Amino acid sequence: MKKIMEKVMSQITDNKAQGDLMFSNSSTLKMSSQKNEIATYNVTSSQILGVRIIKNGKVGLSYTEALDDDSLNLAVKQALQNAEVTDHNPHEQIMEISGEINDELIVPEDEVDISVKTRKALELESKIRSLDSRVSSVPYNGYSEQDYYSYYLSSKGRFTTYKDKSYSITTSAVMEDQGIKSSFYDYHTSHTFKDLKFDKVIETSLFHARNLLQEKSLPTGKYSIRFSEDSLQSIINCFSNFYSAKASMDQMNPWASKLGENVISKDLTIIDHPLFERSFRTSKFDSEGVERKPLTLIDNGELKSFYHNSVTANFFKTKTTGHAARGPSAPMGVYGTDLLIQGKNVKPLPEKYLEVIQLAGLHSGANRVTGTFSLAVKGYLWERGERVATIGNVTISGNLMDFLNNVEVVGTELLASTDESFFSVPLIFHGVSVAGQ
Amino acid sequence: MQLLPSNVAQDVIAAGLAAGADFVDIFIERTHNDGLVYKNSKIEDCQSGTLFGIGIRLIHGEQALYGYTNSTDREELLRITRLLGARISGPAKNLTLNFENLKYPSIPTLQDREVNTQEKLQFLNKINQRLRNDPKVSQVMLNFTKKKQLIEVYNSEGLRASEERPYIRLFHQLVMKDGNLQTEAFHGPGAIGGWEFIEKLNVEEVCEGLLKQANTTLYASPCPAGKMPVVIDNGFGGVIFHEACGHLLETTSVEKKASVFWDKMGEQIAHSAVTAIDDGTIPGAWGSLSIDDEGMPTQKTTLIENGILKNFIVDRMGEIKTGHKRTGSGRRQSYKFAPASRMRNTFIQSGKHEFGELIDSVSYGIYAKKMGGGSVDPSTGQFNFAVQEAYLIENGKITNPLKGATLIGKGSDILTKISMVGKDLSLMAGMCGSVSGSIPTTVGQPPLKVDEILVGGEA
Repeated sequence: MKKIMEKVMSQITDNKAQGDLMFSNSSTLKMSSQKNEIATYNVTSSQILGVRIIKNGKVGLSYTEALDDDSLNLAVKQALQNAEVTDHNPHEQIMEISGEINDELIVPEDEVDISVKTRKALELESKIRSLDSRVSSVPYNGYSEQDYYSYYLSSKGRFTTYKDKSYSITTSAVMEDQGIKSSFYDYHTSHTFKDLKFDKVIETSLFHARNLLQEKSLPTGKYSIRFSEDSLQSIINCFSNFYSAKASMDQMNPWASKLGENVISKDLTIIDHPLFERSFRTSKFDSEGVERKPLTLIDNGELKSFYHNSVTANFFKTKTTGHAARGPSAPMGVYGTDLLIQGKNVKPLPEKYLEVIQLAGLHSGANRVTGTFSLAVKGYLWERGERVATIGNVTISGNLMDFLNNVEVVGTELLASTDESFFSVPLIFHGVSVAGQ
Repeated sequence: MQLLPSNVAQDVIAAGLAAGADFVDIFIERTHNDGLVYKNSKIEDCQSGTLFGIGIRLIHGEQALYGYTNSTDREELLRITRLLGARISGPAKNLTLNFENLKYPSIPTLQDREVNTQEKLQFLNKINQRLRNDPKVSQVMLNFTKKKQLIEVYNSEGLRASEERPYIRLFHQLVMKDGNLQTEAFHGPGAIGGWEFIEKLNVEEVCEGLLKQANTTLYASPCPAGKMPVVIDNGFGGVIFHEACGHLLETTSVEKKASVFWDKMGEQIAHSAVTAIDDGTIPGAWGSLSIDDEGMPTQKTTLIENGILKNFIVDRMGEIKTGHKRTGSGRRQSYKFAPASRMRNTFIQSGKHEFGELIDSVSYGIYAKKMGGGSVDPSTGQFNFAVQEAYLIENGKITNPLKGATLIGKGSDILTKISMVGKDLSLMAGMCGSVSGSIPTTVGQPPLKVDEILVGGEA
């Protein structure tokens, strides 16, 4: 593939342009079960090449899934044509870096027979059904494995390779008891088949679905809330443009002018850590081939840095932080890697709080510009260390900035999200508006 | 137009049948996308690209096996087919196919006139300038997308069908600031068609609506919380039916008994004021299709009539698993997804009430003028929706603007609590994400009054 990319690159440079190419390829196997038989079985492979051309300070993009000569020629031609259309952008250039860098996950050869995988996939449904007669369906279940690799080549001579292998399982339990319905799903991802936690996803789905059969609402009022790691990750990631220099450029970052100011509680430090040893997958370089390193975003409440790619760095006359994000068919953006929320000044857990295990509506009920949100949640009410009720049919609302100012650290251990890309000390948010009965 | 030679299609289908499949189909797609992002008063990104791929599906009993590739190579297609076929234990079938081109009524689309960049730029500049006349507007983003999807379907029943689908959409987003206050407003009209649709947009009306929405939410008070009546306006208000009920009527949920409506056919599931339609045949509408992605001519399907459940939204697998007849609703984002039962243009039909009557009937509640998005858990029917533009109703009058309103509840409950249906139906374009990817759909309704919904806001 590198030879094909070099051939395409020579077309770009022959046109007196700079450019870079991104190629990705993935192949997957997926299966799911229904009525204790394999109901869907998918075998797929796909590839795509993305072309970015910069000519006379103007940027043009194109992509193609076909890699024959005609399609590749057309992709270059289209990118050149598109570059004629865009406005002059002095900030977007190909990075002056060269050399090869690799980030290829080494995993043992997969020797697990397909019959074993199939049997385990079937268990994602059958075991759940067998463990509780109130399970009325297991609508979401499945096993999947994916091989993925990508290459990056720039006209300045940067070449990177990335390779990954992942296995994933998911299951769900829909339960029905005396006309009341509940559901919960869980998933797990690993780099080898043997590390998949089949029992964990089954038990977690059943545990919460059983409890949610008893769900009741709460009286409307202000509550202290503890989010599960997955819920907290969803909320924090939803507002990732608070750390984005691109959002600042686009006038869409409420923290754009707050560098050096205290923006959240002084008890919190937030670090973007692409190389964290506990992460599911570390990341050595970004989409411009820039090597990554940990970045402190917030230090004891003070905003220290934004995510930068070379474009935002040129615009703000600073250096890239290695957070360029771009897919073969997408324009240049910025995005973070794995987040660590560290804390100090540890307090005891309050006597009464709502533990949120599930939230819905982030894609529509959160305003990424203002930080306000209003979400449907489910969880447990805790009093004096006891789980006293399962809660549903309630919403929480507020503003992320207020949340992160009105927070207490209640533990020292960094707890991981299910996908092992987000790590936080336990936090309690006070005075949260809950709408219920 | 032929994307895959019929002799190759025949070989692939024969290989699937020889492996024991009851049914085989091939979906071939070539899609050309053009995108233009206008931001900071200039064209920031311009990109184009072509997607091409072939999806092969083998059906055996209630089992669906699916594979795809970017290659048209006969051997690669046969390799995938045999790989899938190896999962089947059934007698081999020999069948000689003689494909017949499907003849179907084509849904009229708007003109797809070629437009040069200068003309597009002029149009986008006009919107930008109009919006920026308000000094509080800090950013205007206009995302213009044009897509031409060519699809071809072959199946083991001898069908060959093809369709060219031109899509066009202009997504508007503005950011407004006043001191520390900041807000956004969106509008995203789209259609099956071309530039003619964009030309016909009433720029003044669109801009005025966006500015009003932003100015309203910028200074709005926090929404009160609790259970109360809600009047949901027409157009994108229909997202509530789409999410809370429409998804529950797709056989993708029904066949797994993962929908609260799976055993309710013929029963009263909604207030008698409610009649709901899913119609793939509306000329030019964003969710219209001449044929679905399984090669079946699309149709107009009455889902609920005077509150009684009349039909589900059915694809081929849904028909196999539930026995309900297909409705031309097998849809997918691309060849990367097996088809599934999906909505097209889904709306509640007009009723008899004037808008003022709906508002007059509420002593204390919410007027949801513009809905944001939402989601639903089909298995429990529980939904949540954000309201983008909301107002308080006090003693039959619309009063203060509100922010941060969310509506939550159960689809089955809400349907029975729609007590008044207005006259003025309108439709809005949106994207719907589900098991077979993200597809263009239209939502719509006339203004509705729901007697009670839990409103999430400030306690």
